This record gives sequence, C-alpha cells and structure tokens, in this order.
Amino acid sequence: MEISTKEYRVWIEGTKIHYEGTMRLSGTDAYAPILSLMNDVLQSKPDEITLDLTELEFLNSSGINLLAKFTIEVRKQPDISIRVNGSKAVPWQSKSLKNLQRLHPALELTIS
Amino acid sequence: MADLGRIWTKTPMTSSKQTIPAEPVSDPIAIGSFSRHSFRAKFLLVVGAAVAFDLLLGGGISIWNVQRLSKDATEQVSQGLTEATEGYLETYIETTALRANLMLDRVYSEVEVLGNSLQVLIDNPDAESKIGSTLENHPRLGDRLQYNPEGNWTQNLPGRSVVSVWGYLLDEDGQPTPDVQKQIEDSSAFNVIAPELMSSGAAKLQMYYVGPKDRPIMRTTPYTEQAQTFDKLYPGHNESNFWDFFFPGVYEGWQQWLVDPASRPVDRDVVATAPYVDAITGALIVSFFQPLWTQDRSDVAGMAAVDITLNQLNNLVENVRIADTGFGFLAGSNGNVIAASQAGGAILGLVSMDSEGQGVTGINRFLNQSRHPAVASMELPTDNRTVIDHFTVTEGDIEKSYLILLKRLEPTNLWDGEKIVSETLTLGFVVSSQEIYESLTAVQQQISEATTRIVYWQITALLISLIIVFIAVYAISGRITAGLSSLAGAARSLQNKDYSVRVSIPSRDEVAAVGLAFNRMAEEISFHTENLENLVEERTKKLESANYEIVELNRKLQTENLRMGAELNVAKRIQEMVLPRRGELEQISQIEIVGYMEPADEVGGDYYDVLADGNRIKIGIGDVTGHGLESGVLMLMVQSVARALQEKGDTDPIAFLNVLNRTIFKNIERTKSDKHLTLAFVDYADDKVTLSGQHEDVLIIRGNGEIEQIDTMDLGFPVGLESDIADFVSTRDLAFERDDVLILHTDGVTEAENDAGDYFGLERLCESAQKYRGETAKQITEGIISDLRSHIGAHKVYDDITLVVLKHR
Repeated sequence: MEISTKEYRVWIEGTKIHYEGTMRLSGTDAYAPILSLMNDVLQSKPDEITLDLTELEFLNSSGINLLAKFTIEVRKQPDISIRVNGSKAVPWQSKSLKNLQRLHPALELTIS
Repeated sequence: MADLGRIWTKTPMTSSKQTIPAEPVSDPIAIGSFSRHSFRAKFLLVVGAAVAFDLLLGGGISIWNVQRLSKDATEQVSQGLTEATEGYLETYIETTALRANLMLDRVYSEVEVLGNSLQVLIDNPDAESKIGSTLENHPRLGDRLQYNPEGNWTQNLPGRSVVSVWGYLLDEDGQPTPDVQKQIEDSSAFNVIAPELMSSGAAKLQMYYVGPKDRPIMRTTPYTEQAQTFDKLYPGHNESNFWDFFFPGVYEGWQQWLVDPASRPVDRDVVATAPYVDAITGALIVSFFQPLWTQDRSDVAGMAAVDITLNQLNNLVENVRIADTGFGFLAGSNGNVIAASQAGGAILGLVSMDSEGQGVTGINRFLNQSRHPAVASMELPTDNRTVIDHFTVTEGDIEKSYLILLKRLEPTNLWDGEKIVSETLTLGFVVSSQEIYESLTAVQQQISEATTRIVYWQITALLISLIIVFIAVYAISGRITAGLSSLAGAARSLQNKDYSVRVSIPSRDEVAAVGLAFNRMAEEISFHTENLENLVEERTKKLESANYEIVELNRKLQTENLRMGAELNVAKRIQEMVLPRRGELEQISQIEIVGYMEPADEVGGDYYDVLADGNRIKIGIGDVTGHGLESGVLMLMVQSVARALQEKGDTDPIAFLNVLNRTIFKNIERTKSDKHLTLAFVDYADDKVTLSGQHEDVLIIRGNGEIEQIDTMDLGFPVGLESDIADFVSTRDLAFERDDVLILHTDGVTEAENDAGDYFGLERLCESAQKYRGETAKQITEGIISDLRSHIGAHKVYDDITLVVLKHR
C-alpha cells in the first residue's frame, strides 16, 4: 500500500506507516486517502502501530490535525499501542508531536 | 481525465495529418527522364566525357606522332636525297675533270712524242745530218723547194707536210742560206714522224715545227698553202722574225727556263696558248708548244707544236647533262669561260666580246663580267677540292636558285701573249636547285600529302568512334537508368498517394534489389495507410464520446465553481468582518498595535484579534486548519466566544481558554467538522503581558535590543481537539515596558520558502525585527514584510502570512 506524488510518499510496511517528503495538502478532504490508509492498519487491529515521521520534512496544520484525529482513534482502543518516531533535524516535529502524547499519554514518542 | 487529455492532444495531430501532406504533394520534384538533372544525363555526361577524353587524347597523340614522323621522314629523306644528289654531282664533276685532264694529257703526250723525237736527233747531230740528207734526197719524203718571188719566200711543193722558208732566210737567188739549208735537212725527220702522229691518236688540226730564232723555218702537216695564207692573213710576217711576230715572249720565256729552271711555272715543258680563232681554219683552237733544246742545253732549238680545236673539250663539257637544264662549263683562271653551251652561258649571264690578240683572235667571256651579280662575285677554287655552292639569279621578276660545283683541272703552262704563266682551268657544273631537288620536293610533298591524309582519316575515325560510342552509351544508359526512372516515377506516385503503384525492373542488379524493397515498402505503406484510416475513424468516435463527457463535466465544474466562488466570497467577507479595524487599534493609548494578514488563497485560515476593554487589552492569534468557508465560520465562532468572554470580564486567561475550547469543541462536534485551531492570547496590563495558549513562539525585543523567544508549547493545547484542555493550559508573565516590541506570527512567516527551498525561519525574523525595532510598529511591520518578500522572491507562497506587532508607546 502506497500513496506517492512528486512531493511526498506514504507507505506501509507491516504495521509501520512511513511518511516522507513535504505534505502540504489543502484540507481534511485532501488528506482523506492517507487517513483511509492509516485506518486500514488500525482496523486490522494490530498490537502496535508505528508512525515513522523521521523523513517527513514538512506537514501543514491539516496534516497535524490528521495525526491528532488518528491518535484519538487509537486512544479509543487501549489494546493497541502506538509508537511515533520523529527527528530532531525537522523543527516542527519536536514541538507538534508532543501534542500527540498529550492526547494519548500511552503513545510512545521517540524523537531521535 | 489524464487519459482523455492524452487522447485530446493526439486528436489535433491525427486530424491535421490529413491536411499536412497535401502541401508537399502539390510541389513534387518532377525530374524529366532526360532533363539535365536526370541520372541518365549525368551518366551520359560522365561516360561521354571519359570516352571523349580518351579518344581525343589517343587521337591527338597519334596525330602528333604522325606529324612528327612526317617531319622526321621528310628531314631524313631530304638529307639522304641531298647527300645522294650532291655526292652524285661531286662524283660526276670529278669524273668529268678526270676525263678532261686525260684528254689534254693525250694531246700533251702527242706533242711531247713529236718534240722528243726531234730532240733525240738534235742530241745526235751525226745521225741527224745523215737522216736529214737521206730524207731530203728521197723522192717522196724529201722537200722540193720552190722560190716564190711574189711572196719572197720558199716553200715545197705539196707532199706529206709543208715547209716554209721566210724571205729573211734566203739569199739573193732565193735559195736558203747554207745554215738554213742545213736546218731544213736536219728537221726533215718531221716529214716521217709528224704525219703519222697526225693520223693517229687524238683529233688534231695540225702539227708543226718551228726552227730556232735565227733559222725559224716552219714545217706543218698536213700540207697547206701555208705561206700564201700567212701573206693573206698576217701581212708583214715575212719581214719580221717568225717568233717575234707570232709568239712574242715564248722563246725568251724558254730561254729564261734554262737560266733559272725554277721560273718554269708547271713541271712540264708543254706550253699552251689561250684559245683563239685560227686564221686558216676559222676554228677556235688552242696550240700546245713543246720546246726543243740545243744539244748542250744552252739555248732553245725551236719547238714542236700541235693545234687542236676546243671541240672535244667543249663536247666533253657541253655534253654534261644534269637534270633538265643543268650544264657544265670550263673557265680559265682569269674567269674567262672557254667552254659552255649557249644555254649555259645564258644562265650564267655571260657577255661574249671579241678581242684582238697578237696574231691570233681570242674569245673573252668572263665570269666576273656576268650580268648576274651573284655570278660575277663568285670566287674560283684555290685548291683541288670540289667546291659546292648555291647562288640565286633574278631574271625579270623570277628568282632562280642554282647549285654550282667547281673543280680545278691539272695546272698547265700558258703563253698569255707576252710571257709564260701558270694556268689552271676550272670545270664548273651548274644545275637548277628546283630541278635537282625536284624529287626531294616531290617526296616532301608526298609525305605531306600522306600525313594530311592520315590525319584526315584519323580525325574522321575519331569522330565516327565518338558518334558510335555516344549512340552506344545513349542506348545503354537508357537500359541502365530505366530502373531508376521507374523507381523515381513510382516514388512520385507514392507521394501523390497512389499506394497501389509497384515497379517492375527486369535486371538483376542493385537497382532491381531496390525495386523489390520499394514494392515491399509500398505494400506496407498501403496496408498501414488503409489501417490508419480505420484506426483514426475508431479513435475519432471514442474522442467524440470523451468530448461529450468532458463537456458535461465542464458544465458541472462550472456549476461547482460558481458555488465555490460564492462560498469563498462569503468566507472572505466573514474574515474581513472578524479582523479588527485599523481605527480600533489606533484608539489604544498604551500600546501601538499593527496587524498584517495576507492569505495564500482567497480566504486564509489565520486569525488574529485585539480586544480592548479599558486598560486591559487582549490580543489573540491563531491558525485554523484548512481554508474556506468552514474555517472562516470556525474563526467567527472563536472571535465571537472570545469577545463574549472578554465582555463578561473573565480575567483569568486559563479559564478563558478552557471555556473557549469547550464551546468550540462542542460546536465542532455538532457541525461534524474535522477542524481545529491553535490559539494563543497576550493579555496586557500595566507594563506587563501574560501569555496563554499554544501557538508559534512569541518574540519580545527589548528596548536595549535583547531578544526573548518564548515557546508556547506548554502554555496550551490545540483548540477543538479535546473536550477539556484545562490540564494543558498555563500562563507566563513577562514585563512589557516602554520601547519593548512584541511580535506574534503564524507559521506562514517562518515557513515561507525561497527558490532554494530555505525557510525564512525564526532567526531571520529575529534579525529583521531587531533591525527595525527603533521604528514605529507600522514601520517595523513593513520592514519585516519587505525582508520576507525579498527572501521569498518569485517563489510560491503556500500558507497565509500573519504578523502582529506590538510596541509599547
């Protein structure tokens, strides 16, 4: 499963969702295919879901909204643990990703 | 859509394809089968030029060789003929000279025989007198002298010879004096010898004997009436001494020889006279004298002599025949021509003049008096070699060239009328160059004619060869280029869209191979063309239906656009309505506040507000996710709630934000919106600000230039995501005094990119703010925006840009 454009790429390896490039989609509707892809992973009810954002250089506010909404969904299912990997090299991540942990304290955030 | 687009881009190509080929077809390069550009013409030109060059070169060389051969042959033949002719003439003149010498030598010999016989008797006087008296008394051999009183001379009666005794040798009775009588007797042997010599050997006119100077009796054979003739022709001769009268100088000359033998010019005793007309016979004669000597060789004892006509020599010379008019002549050393035919004399331009000699009449035709200067200036040879020369004479207007050969005869002693000198006769041959070289000229002409003929035939052959070759090449070129011509024709037909055309080339060469390939290609083209037409038809149908769909979609899109346009207009209006008025801001006395907003699209998601209530001023800044009407409505809600809370007098920023979040969250839930927003507030009162809510970093530039960068992540939480955010909200108090500047911004500022993909970033924002901090809030805003613009350049602006600058008055 993969969504790929000139700007960004999102793909799944098992229960790990990778994000790469610059995501500047115009709104919630534009992010729907990516949310659908993430929900597919969630619906398979895995023990753990990992969001790998280390290669995602930019994400606009709609994108952050997407991640927040997904985190809230995961929070509703305590059996599923979630892990988020970020990079210090990308400025927005160290600030914004902390909000995900606030939404769902069980979320395991790793910013390396 | 993408597929349709691809088909659409193809459609114009496909449809125009039917019109494009029409243009080049209207201008096909039609090459006539025999125009000067045709392959055949070029082929003809090349082969023709090669053959013509070859033939002309070969022909030229052979013509040149023939000419050279002709020239060489002419030269060789000319040289050979000239050598042969001149050699022949040389031999001829030498032979003739030899014959003339022999002829003269015989005469010399005969006069010498007579002289020597008489000399023997002189040298033996006893025998002489006995023989003399015996012969004198002999009835037939003796002289019967008879005095002629009329002439006063004594002469014998007719017999074997005549003896004349001149008056001055007679006594009173007419009888010879005793010593004269003795002389008559002693010389009577003449009667025996001379007549016999006369009858044999060379033809002679007469032979005679003359006694010594004191007794000059004269004996002559054959018998003539000698004295009578003398009386008639030479009056006075009987009164003078015979020697002195007839031959003055001869006798003395001989006497001189005795004294000085070296004075004899030629080593032979015989002396010749110059030719003269004989008084008796009237013939042109020459006399040859043989002197007789006394026994003791102390004096001259008379002479024996012979007269000959020059006829024989003349005959010999005049019978010379060379070519048609060639002739011979004989000249003395003084240039007097002794013998020459009349025609020859005329050619030489000789002028005859009679002249009187002593006793005899000579003949003078001198070469140096010739009418022709070339002849007159001619020099006779000075040695015995044969001289060959040329001379030209002009007769009237005609110039005639002659070849002349000169050859000297043996030298001889000559009595010139006064003394004895050496004389050498010269034999000459003259022949017209034209005649002698006639054969040569004829040969030259024949060679020249032959050459001309050969050259003529050569040129004719050359031209015929050229014509034949050209006809052959023309014929062959037709066959060779026929294949190419039909290929060219077929290609033209193909160009004119006649795909049914096929070529037929009977030959089995490369052209035929091209023809086969052409036929295959034509077949393929034909197949593809027909197929293409079907394909185009099919594709056109599909395109028509696609086009219909697109029109439909376009119509829908237009409707949607109208709808969206209307929505956007509403959203924009809402945003305009929500944002604070400039006049509102200017009324605030403590702080100078300037807000700047530039949406990326028609309507942005950024929000800011200034809520002033007496001394309390609350400034809000936020960023709603997404854009459009929904975002605008959310923003309006936030503004309304914030205004309401402010009006209610809620001074606790945490409660303020919590109530606001709950309100918005519930409304979002109700409207089933996916949106949320970041939101932060700055509360100002009494030189102090209180920050609350999570948003971008807040910058404070102090009056001394120090910058404080305040992270708001721990001061709040995104609004509208969670029902209760009380746990996350907190405040931070900071001093905000005179000349301090506070800057709020949205991520559209820091994340604005340039062409290289570099963000404007907080660092640049700080630098810029620091740079303009001394200015008014308005100027600071303009300065920062100007720096931001120059950073972005021509690059696309992705997000709304919002900047709020506060400056403490």
